Amino acid sequence: MSGWFYKVTYPCEKVREFMYDYLDDSLPTITSIRFHLHLNGCVQCREYLFLYKKAADAKSFRKENPAPEEFLASTLEFLEKEGITGSEDDAADWEPETKEPAP
Amino acid sequence: MGGMKPSQSIPDFEEINSPEFLAMLLAKGPPGQRAFARMVQGTHDRFLGFIRRQLASQEECLEVLQEVYLAVHKGLPGFAGKSKLTTWIFSLAHHKICDRIADRDRSHQELTENREASLSTETAGAERWDGITAWDAAPDRVSARNAVEGLIGKAIEALPEHARQVYQLRDVEGMSGEETAEVMGITPENVRVQLHRARRQIVEWVQEKMAGAPKT
Repeated sequence: MSGWFYKVTYPCEKVREFMYDYLDDSLPTITSIRFHLHLNGCVQCREYLFLYKKAADAKSFRKENPAPEEFLASTLEFLEKEGITGSEDDAADWEPETKEPAP
Repeated sequence: MGGMKPSQSIPDFEEINSPEFLAMLLAKGPPGQRAFARMVQGTHDRFLGFIRRQLASQEECLEVLQEVYLAVHKGLPGFAGKSKLTTWIFSLAHHKICDRIADRDRSHQELTENREASLSTETAGAERWDGITAWDAAPDRVSARNAVEGLIGKAIEALPEHARQVYQLRDVEGMSGEETAEVMGITPENVRVQLHRARRQIVEWVQEKMAGAPKT
């Protein structure tokens, strides 16, 4: 890499520090230009940015390990025992509170 | 199990966060109980996913999940609705996880080191990835892409506890900076700093594993 490149652009470490703001679209214009100039000439930072974006786009990991079915059953059973979710029998016997009619 | 059957569809986070659903949860008797059961059905997967990334044993995860729902039930009457209901529940889960971790007779450092050690052996055979040629573009090779995603999953587990929680809330669960800050009890600026640090740790962990894996 020639000397002029480093004079105009940022060093790799600085570019990596700016990646959060780059993804957040909050880099000031001049910074953004120097950021892109660096990326155009630096394969290591392009690779770094690729992985950084992959790391930031992690919603797919939400479904990576769905909860085992018995977890829901155990939780609902536990909450029923605690009187939080109640049972079908309770529901059948239940009547909503009604206000006493005024005398 | 003689519990209530799901008579209505399973609600998503958007429905659970609506004022109408909150009103149903606060209703007395079976209507409130039924709404609570539906809320559990609609949220347990996501909350468990969050808990599972912080605690190793399934039994412990289930206990914490149940403790969280107990705390939700106890706290619901006082829930002021200043934040989303699900954000509040994440915050309860965060506190329960912290309590568990604090109770353990091991330091966070030791935990992370153990994780690192086990992950190093698991990923030793991962495909070597030589980087990309065009920035902003995914590598052509599907196997390389899958290897990257697999390694990112492992790298998340290798993050220190606190950073992992911030990362999970923000980048996995898709919460805003403000919501994440509320759950974690830190400032949005702190979230930003920790999230950036966590992403960088993930990138560097993945790069390290790729550089060390044998070429296929």
